[in-house]
Amino acid sequence: MPMEARVGKPAPEFETSAYVKGEIKKIKLSAYKGQWVMLYFYPGDFTFV
Amino acid sequence: MTAVAVRYQDLQTLGAEILAISVDSPYTHKVWQEGELAKMVPGGLPYPMLSDPGGRIGQLYGVYDEEAGVDIRGRFLIDPDGIIQALEILAPAIGRNVAEMIRQVKACQHVRDTGEATPAGWEPGKIALKPGSELSGKVCEIWSPEMAF
Repeated sequence: MPMEARVGKPAPEFETSAYVKGEIKKIKLSAYKGQWVMLYFYPGDFTFV
Repeated sequence: MTAVAVRYQDLQTLGAEILAISVDSPYTHKVWQEGELAKMVPGGLPYPMLSDPGGRIGQLYGVYDEEAGVDIRGRFLIDPDGIIQALEILAPAIGRNVAEMIRQVKACQHVRDTGEATPAGWEPGKIALKPGSELSGKVCEIWSPEMAF
């Protein structure tokens, strides 16, 4: 598996659909340039941790 | 998920946006929000829940588990230039420490704003170090390990 995400390197760009406060929207990581972003992955909906 | 929502205002104050992401579709996110999360967090999660079908984005970040077909608990702190400044990957059964996530945002911002380095256990108000040759061999004069706690 290629590990492209490393500290000190650019965060890999992506665009995908998202659920945001009642709406479904496209979200692009690079749209957040100029802001700090906490991107967090989790194993799945309906889990409890 | 909901623990991050509880401290969302703190992260907003720091100018940090949260993006949560799993392999679930946006429609599944909607059902989970409306059916369960909204009962734990009034109004539901205030930040976007992204969909990563097939773990394509998880693969880019090295957190996709092909056997289980899910993204494991990876967390990436990305600075305003789009550079990763911190990351943490936990096994699925281990929940995150949101207070530590927030401390790392503060530490990264301090480093970016001042050029100083933050020693172990640094919190705002504690001493930070100016990197430079005059500091080498002399850290013990201004900092001790007990100050990390």
